[in-house]
Amino acid sequence: MPANRQEGMDHQHYDWSPLPERPILRWPKNAPLALGALVILEHYEWEPPEGSYGLRSPSGGLIKFPTPDYVQLTHREYGHRVGIFRVLDMLDRHGVPATIAVDATTALQYPWLIEHCMQRGCELIGHGIAASQLITSKMSADEEIETIGSSLNILEQQTGLRPRGWLSPEGVESSRTPQLAASAGLSYLCDWPNDEQPYKMSTADGDLTALPLFLELDDEFALWTRRASLDSWERMIVAAGSKMHADGQQTGRLLMLTLRPWLTGQPFRIQALGNALRSLAALDPIFMATGSQIVDSFAENLSAS
Amino acid sequence: MDLPPNRIGYLPMVDRPIVSWPDGARVAFWVAPNVEHYEYLPPRDPRRNPWPRSPHPDVQGYAHRDYGNRVGFWRMLDVLDSYNVRCTASTNLAVFDHYPQIGKAMADRGWEIMSHGIYNTRYLSSLTESEEQEFYVDCIASLKRHTGQDLRGMLGPAVSNTVRTPDLMAEAGLTYHADWLHDDQPVPIKVQSGKLVSVPYSIELNDVPVFLQHHDPQDFVTMVKNQFDTLYEEGGQSGRVMALAIHPYLMGMPHRIDALDEMLDYVLGHADVWQPTASEIADHFIEHSYDHFVEHAAHISGEPNAC
Repeated sequence: MPANRQEGMDHQHYDWSPLPERPILRWPKNAPLALGALVILEHYEWEPPEGSYGLRSPSGGLIKFPTPDYVQLTHREYGHRVGIFRVLDMLDRHGVPATIAVDATTALQYPWLIEHCMQRGCELIGHGIAASQLITSKMSADEEIETIGSSLNILEQQTGLRPRGWLSPEGVESSRTPQLAASAGLSYLCDWPNDEQPYKMSTADGDLTALPLFLELDDEFALWTRRASLDSWERMIVAAGSKMHADGQQTGRLLMLTLRPWLTGQPFRIQALGNALRSLAALDPIFMATGSQIVDSFAENLSAS
Repeated sequence: MDLPPNRIGYLPMVDRPIVSWPDGARVAFWVAPNVEHYEYLPPRDPRRNPWPRSPHPDVQGYAHRDYGNRVGFWRMLDVLDSYNVRCTASTNLAVFDHYPQIGKAMADRGWEIMSHGIYNTRYLSSLTESEEQEFYVDCIASLKRHTGQDLRGMLGPAVSNTVRTPDLMAEAGLTYHADWLHDDQPVPIKVQSGKLVSVPYSIELNDVPVFLQHHDPQDFVTMVKNQFDTLYEEGGQSGRVMALAIHPYLMGMPHRIDALDEMLDYVLGHADVWQPTASEIADHFIEHSYDHFVEHAAHISGEPNAC
């Protein structure tokens, strides 16, 4: 098949937009940097349904063991039992609001935890059914519509609030996902870690805001996949945040830190997060915000320009 | 929720009964040297290949671990002795047959021997129920024969297990299982008969992933100190467990041994640290906290008997 070498993206989800050519982005109070935390509460099923698709080697545990892989499953479970509270406490201590991606299995099976997160004032966003049931192009459109719809319905049923945001399980999408997310009434999508600002996605079923996470600072990517040391992770976060705060004098920047309670919530890791947040929180002024607050501020910028 | 397959009731760390250790200790710190034998020509297991690097034998992989028994163990022992550490040795029980001097060194020091199976190259994963029952009989008898000790707990051989494992362990009279990594406190594990608890082990504060993934000894020291600091602070509210998992073939290397000294010096230099064996943690928990945990998990889930 010959390549279609025309100007712009090789897909329809958003337009090519080099940062220097964009309108100036201003966060509230002229803060150069918006800082948020995307915390992931994901559940790995003991026995995923037949035909579901999971990552070949999901993180956590040791090597891939034959079923039952107690090591991997219980390592992940640590996040729901212990790690989440350390992570939320640390975010609170430094004034960073938590936006929590919750899959439907967690929402249904950990009602105590969902209630706890709501009481703390966290924003909950959709995150599929389970980490062991990825949304991929191997799924039919109908299955994907059902997956997105039912996971949003379950979260709404468990919290009383319709989620506005979405992160696909393990950040895996089909080529239909942005359109189906818009069609499901979602406002923002966190699957594309490709920018330092939110940007507009256009689909046949309406517009979305892309809210880019910062992949290289993502705890799993840095600490598990790349095996960076904790010192290195901490330095990367502070260096990136400080540089973006400086660059943000020109046009606002965004740092969404992705955190997994089973990973960063371990006793020996939590202080590295605390150290990094202490440095970031000293950047002044800074816009500490949830996903929705960032997206709303971005929308005000668009309507003002 | 119940962690599948419904053996562990959900208990959030911030809403559960207080755990009190002896003398008001904040942290129960247990040290688990893994004393292992990996076979030169292990039986084939279709589900897991212990030596995937080459057709068997893999003499490099074999010798790397064999070094631990020939040299590393003894160097590690000197450091452990200097702090009078009461170890819980995660032991492939055939070590007692193959290497009697190692067995004697552990027995002479009164270390608790935790089963780590017979060999690190023979996994539970493919065993039938009756084969797994025979496995526990073998483990219990082997330990009794060599040391006179009653076997109290297990870290599965190479952390392998079956869905039945907790039931069969309890049936065989074991008290604790170290394969569960989901908590910083012991937790009741639902079994068909008897009582079984998890004692938190670690695959993170563990020299295998740390050193095989390119971290330096000093990184490990920092991890251990940070882990301890967090648990020690939290342990002022309710007791915590900290495990240190080490392997003679890694930690006993000349370029790493000083790190072990530094870790032990730091942790054991604090007041309010209890340095028990795994069975002492399990027994204390069962006596003082087990029932409260079961009741509270039922309360959290809104269902009776949820734990």
